[in-house]
Amino acid sequence: MLNRRAISLLGLGFVLSAPTRPAMAQTAGDRAAAFVKSTGDRLLAAMHGGGSVEDRRKTLGPIIDSAIDVDGIARFCLGRFWKNATADQQKRYTDLFHQVLIGNITSRLGEYQEVKLTIGRSQTRDDNDIVSTVIERPNNPPATVDWVVANAVSSPKVIDVIAENTSLRQTQRNDYAAYLTRNNNDVDALIAAMAAQLTQN
Amino acid sequence: MDADLRPLPISTTVLLARFWRVLLFAGLLAVVLTGCATPPPADDPEALADYRQTNDPLEPTNRVFYAVNNGLDIVILRPAAQAYRFVVPGAVRTGIHNVLSNLGTPMQLSNDIMQGKPVRAGDTAMRFAINSTVGLIGVFDVATGWGYPNHDTDFGLTLANWGVPDGPFLFLPVLGPSNPRDAAGFGVDLVQDPFTWIGSSTALTVVNWTRFGLNALDSRERYLDPVEQIKKTALDPYATFRSLYRQHREGQIKELRDDRRATVPVWFPQAQPNAAPSPAR
Repeated sequence: MLNRRAISLLGLGFVLSAPTRPAMAQTAGDRAAAFVKSTGDRLLAAMHGGGSVEDRRKTLGPIIDSAIDVDGIARFCLGRFWKNATADQQKRYTDLFHQVLIGNITSRLGEYQEVKLTIGRSQTRDDNDIVSTVIERPNNPPATVDWVVANAVSSPKVIDVIAENTSLRQTQRNDYAAYLTRNNNDVDALIAAMAAQLTQN
Repeated sequence: MDADLRPLPISTTVLLARFWRVLLFAGLLAVVLTGCATPPPADDPEALADYRQTNDPLEPTNRVFYAVNNGLDIVILRPAAQAYRFVVPGAVRTGIHNVLSNLGTPMQLSNDIMQGKPVRAGDTAMRFAINSTVGLIGVFDVATGWGYPNHDTDFGLTLANWGVPDGPFLFLPVLGPSNPRDAAGFGVDLVQDPFTWIGSSTALTVVNWTRFGLNALDSRERYLDPVEQIKKTALDPYATFRSLYRQHREGQIKELRDDRRATVPVWFPQAQPNAAPSPAR
């Protein structure tokens, strides 16, 4: 009898303490994971939503700008050439980079129908939080995608996406560096090539 | 007389040896004709650092082979892979992929052992035993569901685990992106494959070449969409493939090194090398 009461009290204590526990466990890693979850859900909702490609581009734009540090990624991708570029070149390049990124995502919308995103563990590396997720698409093997989140506590932003061990921003940086090296390190040539790419897609 | 003049069936071993000789000759010729990459001037330390990091001294030659491979791919392999996708239903393609992957397990097992990874070797052995029998000669991958997942391995990874560095980037004819370590690993894996040594009857030669062709179709079909996407979005596809290949290999090596699952039974007191260090009190 006493035993049963002790157990039920224990259970009650457990239930009462439950709401406070998540608050206690709000580490940077948890916040980063919650941020990736909400961003992923918003992106998927925008992708699944109907409408023309232009409509979806308009919905996706603000989500991408608020959740992803596009300016920072753009600067990273230009690497050592950023410093030597004029302020005007930097501005034109960053604007184009935004459009190219949104264009690349919207052009692949068809592939992301019926996507399932599962949030895994998060870890801290070099002041950033890395949230591991598994993305499942029909007729495709599950893919591991890591999201690198900066400032998880104050103002979280995604600064890199690492799909199956390959970093998107590193790959882009290597692509631009090779293009610039073969075009006399001319940032204007890169800007022209990016603009040409936009009109193609 | 007729019987004497009939051509002998060419075994895969002989043909591969010839293939490598031709490849080596073509490679030397290409290096002589196109030369090496010019390093940036010494007064630009950042450019020099980038050049060293890219580590592609044979870039002009590599780009020639990239162009050749790309041409062959557009004319032969990509249309073949598209036809394969169009004609063969997805479930059958998965079955074929599983059979091919099961045929690769002996080579996988010897690499697991040489890497000193007992749990990986156990996974591979169980996969071979289960999938070859219950999985009907490998058509169905039953083992993954039973707790024996697949993992990537090859002799290039074994060498990496022994501490051999990758060396400069290479783009090889037919084989694609590589480096001296992985190219050597590819050769060793061919030697490790029991099917290379079984014999040289006509039937076996046919089986080996069918397997080789199906392998090419299967992997190309799996990469149809990503490759298309990269060619569309990259300003310099060669550099993008170079970057992706390097990062992918580094990821595989890291996964291999970090796999320190213990072989001690569950009930035995465990040492936990993979556990996170406990926070300081």
